[in-house]
Amino acid sequence: MLQIEDVVAGYGATTVVQGISLEVEGGSCGVLVGPNGHGKTTLLRVISGLLKARSGRITFDGDDITRLRAEKIVERGLIHIPQGDLVFPDMTVEENLILGAFTKAASKRAKSRLEEVYEIFPRLNERKDQRSRTLSGGERRMLALGRGLMGDAKLIMIDEPSLGLAPVIVDEVYRQIRRITESGLTVLLVEENFSRAQTLADRIHLVENGVVVRSGGADDVLDDKTVRETYLGVSE
Amino acid sequence: MNLVLQTLVSTVVQGSMLALITIGMSLVYGTLRVLNMAQGVMVMVGGMAAYLAVDGLGVSPWVSIIFAMLATFVLGMATYGIGVSKLIGRAGVDFEMTAFISTFAIASIVQSVIQLIYGPRQKNFPVLIEGRLTLVPGVSITWHQVLTAAIAIVALLLLGLFLTKSRYGLAIVAVAQNLDAARLMGIPARQAYVLTMGLAAALAGLAGVLLAPVYFVSPTMGDLPLLQALIVAIFAGLGSTKGTIIAAYIIGFVQSAVSIFWSSTYALPVLYVLIVVVLIARPYGIAGKPQEARL
Repeated sequence: MLQIEDVVAGYGATTVVQGISLEVEGGSCGVLVGPNGHGKTTLLRVISGLLKARSGRITFDGDDITRLRAEKIVERGLIHIPQGDLVFPDMTVEENLILGAFTKAASKRAKSRLEEVYEIFPRLNERKDQRSRTLSGGERRMLALGRGLMGDAKLIMIDEPSLGLAPVIVDEVYRQIRRITESGLTVLLVEENFSRAQTLADRIHLVENGVVVRSGGADDVLDDKTVRETYLGVSE
Repeated sequence: MNLVLQTLVSTVVQGSMLALITIGMSLVYGTLRVLNMAQGVMVMVGGMAAYLAVDGLGVSPWVSIIFAMLATFVLGMATYGIGVSKLIGRAGVDFEMTAFISTFAIASIVQSVIQLIYGPRQKNFPVLIEGRLTLVPGVSITWHQVLTAAIAIVALLLLGLFLTKSRYGLAIVAVAQNLDAARLMGIPARQAYVLTMGLAAALAGLAGVLLAPVYFVSPTMGDLPLLQALIVAIFAGLGSTKGTIIAAYIIGFVQSAVSIFWSSTYALPVLYVLIVVVLIARPYGIAGKPQEARL
């Protein structure tokens, strides 16, 4: 469904993504793992059109989307839920969600989508008239996820859903992400925590210094001896 | 007692007018981070377009409002296209500063061109409605002033409805609150920018028609409104629309009180003193938020 071929990108004089290729199949969950600052978030920003690729090619559903503007990519059903809860702070929870269905196609289904999102995230329903700046960190994360689901998503990219949350909240967020993957939606997830990645991933891509150093089934990659020694500090 | 009433009435009239001119400036700053120096010239172009419509085409001053708002809407969008859009996202460019200068440049060019074509002479413009309304014996107000305040307030209410209820209005607010998040919702940021600048200009254009009978139409009729709008915008806190409305009425009150109890000569100097005090005591304005220091 999503093919990334030799994508290079960066900011100013710095090249962060140094030629990444990978593929996410329809209905599967791919996870990018790897240390901080090695290009995972930058890659997602390139895919969703927030940052222009310097070279390489991205195809989604068979169409080249490399040079499309962010809003055109959203219209095609590729939704990016960014790192750090980019919610609209002075709008209510419900207004945030409604804006998640901004595209013409999605806005027609906004009402029924809203019901679905409230069912997955009952907490958002309780807080729907509250300004989103008053939400807790976990609730904001749920709002960001719920807002992503409001669009006409075929593939949803989630950047570090566990970042900065208390473990018990992370468990809750991950249960909700599992519901999303089980509903058949294609997911590309960024996660630093290996064991959490393993529970969801069909395929894992290990990103280091801006390139994918290993790709494979979750168990293959994580059971690899060098990977375990380098990243998990386990030696046998 | 009459003087107090006179001051209050004048505050409502002047405050509404100031809010109408400044709200566009705040909207543009909140959404694009551009301190739009062309806002004053839009007031002038609005007045000029209305004058040409009345004088040249013979339409009524009421119909000329449509001409004024259309002309300024287009000119506002053009200002974005020519002066602002090409600066966005350029590496190594201080966007706020360059956009500030380029809107100032566009304002100067428009002003000079208007002066070349139509000359510097002041032109009379008819009031929208004749006569005076006597509130109490000794205190009266022209119907034109009543209308000015009413039209400005209605325009502000409509703007508020547009921003909170309509699809494109929400897009503008979303872009102002978080650009990246807005783009990831599929909101076309550039269209929101164009619309914001067009809208801001059209509101100034409307103000131009309302001011025209009082200040006459001339190439420099936008200079004072720009100055006042800057004072209100800074007092409010750049980019805050609610703050703008509060600040507009406070500034309107100070202006009216100084003019009535002292002398209109001192209205502007007193405002300058006030703004210096505000900048020292609360540099981000009454409703603004402290900005993070930029490296």
